[in-house]
Amino acid sequence: MISCDEAALICSKSQYHEASFTEKLKLRLHMLFCNTCSTFSKRNRQLSELFGKARLHVLSDTAKQELRQQIQKRR
Amino acid sequence: MPSRKLSPDSWVDDHADYLFNYAISRVGDEEIAKDLIQETFIAGLGSAENFKGEASERTWLVAILKRKIIDHYRRINSKKGKAEVRRTYKSSEDSGKDWLEEQVADPSSLRENDFMENEELGLALQACIEALPEKQRKVFVMKTIRGLSTEDICKELEINPSNLWVMIHRARTALMSCLNKNWFTS
Repeated sequence: MISCDEAALICSKSQYHEASFTEKLKLRLHMLFCNTCSTFSKRNRQLSELFGKARLHVLSDTAKQELRQQIQKRR
Repeated sequence: MPSRKLSPDSWVDDHADYLFNYAISRVGDEEIAKDLIQETFIAGLGSAENFKGEASERTWLVAILKRKIIDHYRRINSKKGKAEVRRTYKSSEDSGKDWLEEQVADPSSLRENDFMENEELGLALQACIEALPEKQRKVFVMKTIRGLSTEDICKELEINPSNLWVMIHRARTALMSCLNKNWFTS
């Protein structure tokens, strides 16, 4: 049986579909007996959904560098 | 209390992503949004003496960006000529909608409410991301928002995958407690 810390970590990893089959199995087994982790898992999944819904963007590092140069040039 | 002073040297780090999302949700195009941010910063530098310190630096920059977005729409509208106005009026019996306004398709095919809610959500998420410790934030953004592969992130930041997952996990835990409970369903 894995600890809650391990279970929670696997849970975060599986939000990116990068948990291995064994990890997922361990997580499922753990959650059968652990309410805390089941709740955590539910919220974690909801967090993923919220990120999917918000469709956030970030500027690339090169774009940011360009902007910095533009500002520098005009100061 | 934040100091009500402009510090253009940190504009990019402090506000660029926020402004970028604000612009994208209104113009729907990354390239255009990027140009608008640049115009905003340049205009901000040019009118820095008008900043009276009454609003925060961000509010002030957003106000400039809003004007740039309006300018952008004016520009494309004048390029298109009077295309929208010339659109032929036809009364379609099946839809029962006589007004042209009612026939115009919503560009994102999202209802106005969804747009507002998603924008509010986006801003809330962004505020929580900004509150993360630097390193966690960096890893989290690369993985979750830019969608980079674990391998690439590890290479770029010179960390190993288990470091990465611990940081991602801590970031997610922090975000869950930062984000208002209302966003979650019990």
